[in-house]
Amino acid sequence: MNTRRRSAHAPLTPSHGPSHGSRAPFGRVALRCASTPAALTMLAAVAALVLLPFPSDGRGLAAPAGTTAGEGEADDAEDRFLSRTRRLIFEGRRSGEGYFSPDGSQMVFQAEREEGNPFYQIYRLDLESGETRRISPGIGKTTCSFIQPGTGNVLYASTHHDPASEELQRAELEFRASGEERRYSWDYDPEFDIWVADPESGEQRRLTDARGYDAEGAYSPDGEWIVFSSMRDAYGRDLSPEEQRQLEVDPSFFAELYIMRADGSDQRRLTHTDGYDGGPFFFPDGERIVWRRFDTSGLIADVWSMKPDGSDQKQITDFGAMSWAPYVHPSGEYILFASNKHGFSNFEVFIVDVEGVKEPVRVTTTDGFDGLPVPTPDGGRLVRTSNRHQGEGAHLYIAEWNHQAAREALAAAPPRRAAR
Amino acid sequence: MHPRPPRRHRSRPLPMLLGLALLATAVTSTAATNESPTAGDLLRGHVEVLAADAMEGRLTGTEGERKAAEYLSKQLADLGVKPLRQDGYLSPFEFTSGSRDTGSALIARRDGEDRSFVGADVVQALSFSDSGTVSGELVFAGYGIRVPDSADFGYDSYATLDVEDKIVVVLRYFPEDAEGEARATLARYSGPRFKAMTARQLGAKALLMVTGPRSPNAGEVMPMTFDTAIAGSGIVAASVSGALAQELLGADRSLEEVQRGFDDANPHVAGFAIDGVEIELTVRLEREKSSGHNVLGVLPANATGSAVGSAAESVVVGAHFDHLGRGDGGNSLARADETDAVHNGADDNASGTAAVLEIVRALRDQERRRDLVVAFWSGEELGLLGASAFVDRLDDEDAPVGPVTAYVNFDMVGRARDNRLSVQAVGSSDAWPGLLEKANLLVGWDLQLQEDPYLPTDSAAFHRAEIPTLNFFTGAHEDYHRPTDDAHLIDYGELGRVVEIGERVVRGLLGEEERIAFTPVAPKRQQGGDRDSVRAFTGTIPDYATEVSGLLLSGVIAGGPAEEAGLRGGDVIVKFGAQTIANIYDYTYALDAVKIDQPVEVEYVRDGERRSTTLTPRARN
Repeated sequence: MNTRRRSAHAPLTPSHGPSHGSRAPFGRVALRCASTPAALTMLAAVAALVLLPFPSDGRGLAAPAGTTAGEGEADDAEDRFLSRTRRLIFEGRRSGEGYFSPDGSQMVFQAEREEGNPFYQIYRLDLESGETRRISPGIGKTTCSFIQPGTGNVLYASTHHDPASEELQRAELEFRASGEERRYSWDYDPEFDIWVADPESGEQRRLTDARGYDAEGAYSPDGEWIVFSSMRDAYGRDLSPEEQRQLEVDPSFFAELYIMRADGSDQRRLTHTDGYDGGPFFFPDGERIVWRRFDTSGLIADVWSMKPDGSDQKQITDFGAMSWAPYVHPSGEYILFASNKHGFSNFEVFIVDVEGVKEPVRVTTTDGFDGLPVPTPDGGRLVRTSNRHQGEGAHLYIAEWNHQAAREALAAAPPRRAAR
Repeated sequence: MHPRPPRRHRSRPLPMLLGLALLATAVTSTAATNESPTAGDLLRGHVEVLAADAMEGRLTGTEGERKAAEYLSKQLADLGVKPLRQDGYLSPFEFTSGSRDTGSALIARRDGEDRSFVGADVVQALSFSDSGTVSGELVFAGYGIRVPDSADFGYDSYATLDVEDKIVVVLRYFPEDAEGEARATLARYSGPRFKAMTARQLGAKALLMVTGPRSPNAGEVMPMTFDTAIAGSGIVAASVSGALAQELLGADRSLEEVQRGFDDANPHVAGFAIDGVEIELTVRLEREKSSGHNVLGVLPANATGSAVGSAAESVVVGAHFDHLGRGDGGNSLARADETDAVHNGADDNASGTAAVLEIVRALRDQERRRDLVVAFWSGEELGLLGASAFVDRLDDEDAPVGPVTAYVNFDMVGRARDNRLSVQAVGSSDAWPGLLEKANLLVGWDLQLQEDPYLPTDSAAFHRAEIPTLNFFTGAHEDYHRPTDDAHLIDYGELGRVVEIGERVVRGLLGEEERIAFTPVAPKRQQGGDRDSVRAFTGTIPDYATEVSGLLLSGVIAGGPAEEAGLRGGDVIVKFGAQTIANIYDYTYALDAVKIDQPVEVEYVRDGERRSTTLTPRARN
């Protein structure tokens, strides 16, 4: 090597769109945190390091006076559960929300990785060959994909049936070219409906057609049912003036959970609580559903679980913060989720026992956004969406997951404390 | 291996992630078997041979280089790789290994009277000068700096001057009292070679350069620097002492006052013709020519229907195998007690050389739509000489290869830490991120992608020819360019994983129907300065492989200003003087703006704590 070696830093660009757990405040937050000047990020990182990430009582207390945790120590703390963290997706501007086929050979995810469409499309990565192919039609906005057990079909939410789709793509590209920054990153396009694609034949079938955002769908383990989130309640009836105002400010207030058969029939409502109910997934045994419920302010969210008929609704977390994107580990023993308990824009991954009787345990300690944790079907690895690489949109990362350490940490966790 | 979770009660067995599970065992294992050597054993074998003291540090043009080239030729033959040239694997190239002034002289004629000046302390060739004798009138052109319009800063020493057929006298360096951004910009265009080129382009016959009384090394004739270029710069150029320059100016003007006039960088201060004097300048420069040897082979395309011979597209995979010999060339970072020791260059770059050999082994039976050209470069440490010689011939009628679709380089890949692997020059094709994503899936590196293709390694020669390039790099370390860069410090298991990802990337390049497209990337910095334009010496050794916000130091040079300031490896510089430092560019920019011997406040982060110190830069010689 020659002595004048230099390195490059990629330019800073914003990130993030919707997700199984997304909503407006989060979108804004992520956008801002991804474009923080590098020097400020460093200061924030240094400031964050005074928090010892894994105090023995699991409560995230500040470090005792005189101790400072260096960067290396913070990494060591994360290494308790995660090792060999590495970026999985490099192509394109941003990627996120990876979900696996039951045999672990494939992963579906959303990404912006083709010219001409500034919105997410759905892709399937073959984990044996490394081949990636697009599953969605390529037009419009898509989000929240999931693989059907048994068939390999891919469910996702899309607006491609909307005749305005291509015009909206052009408008978004022009807006980007103008260099302005969007203050609001997601509009809960009421055209979103749930579609299913047969990747082999290319056939696309529409499962819902109600006015209002239908998205965030996931199959039951037997592949027979789909649980999803919908804002249809805001459109199918006369709204009071108060509700009308609410709809204009934030339609996600009306989002409720629904269930339907895999062919789209038999659609039934499961929740009836004001505020955004979304991001549902079945437990590995199919006996319950985990999801996150926002309060009416849209700022506080917690992880809940219920039976697939909507009964026995139980609150699992109580941080008084934004705790969202829950997913049950394949062992069925605990739930992974993300929360900004440690800073409005600093989302970290936590684990909590499925009953929610213990205080959650923090998993990640890297400044910036870490969220949407999804374990591989063998439970041995964890995929998450993160912007830890700085300077670009968020992308999917993978790491080895230490299940044994997770069990031990949960066993040692104290009883859950109430935030309010 | 990660622990597996217990089996669940559900009837369907929990599956493995087949692909992802593979890498954990197969790739990292280096355990020997009874039958054939493992990848790690083979890599270790190559590195131990190349980095042995017997190879004398593989300096280009020496016996050590020749021995290493022989070893590599033998390896290629054993792998079934054909020589690229009809007469064998070795491909010689000429370069200048040194230059000598053999008696330059200057005659000044004033009022009909000749005065003659000779001697290395009075007038001496600049190392890039042409030889020859020229005579003519003199024009004093200040610092002889012309900042290109694109730099958004107007400064042109020649704005009001006509130098056609004249001999130009200029000051060395750049205006001494310039501040901040102006100083940094001027420094960038102040290299002696760049000044000579500027004068030549304006029609000047010759260039005289003097180190002004108000500059470091005041009045001294400039040393002959190491310049490997085979040809001169197309102009006669010499350095003169301050006394001789004063003589030429005449008794009416003091050189110091003249310099002061230019030193505040006011762009409206004009140069002037020196009346009443004519000179005859003779520059005698002898360049010592040496030959270096690249080692070049080819595995021709073998897919049915592939083009053959010069019609076939080719993919070049390469690494430089030369190193620093005993470190006399100026690039050594040997400590005081290490001088004259063999610089073994195990990581730099026996590691990359070994990786290329094993990539070729993995690919030799593969179906190829394109020729796979295997290149081991010499002359890299002297300035990318071997790779440049190869690239320069690509457009020739009798070029040894068909159109090159991509070049993949391996330079220092044996010292991976924390599963990190840097991949540089990714901006040179939009296809790279996708190819790397796929190639890395089963290998599982924590890849650090870096866009910038303007790299100080052989890939830059290909980039100049608008060929997509890629460079793999595991990072600088404290043994970099020291005699301690030894074979036992290489992590052969991790080097094997570099081979794994490299092989997959090259396989993709050989097999895809479409060739990948070149993407232009604007250089981050204007070129035009050279070592002489960066005068400040701080003694910091940046860690180029780790992406942090700030400048992470992999070490400091013993006895240098950084060490005296208490800095050490692992520190992250976040502010240097008034300049906040987010990356290495900020740092070089900040260095342009500092003044010699003037203390600078440096803020840095150590163990998570922000600290500050004072560093006093020294002059480079």
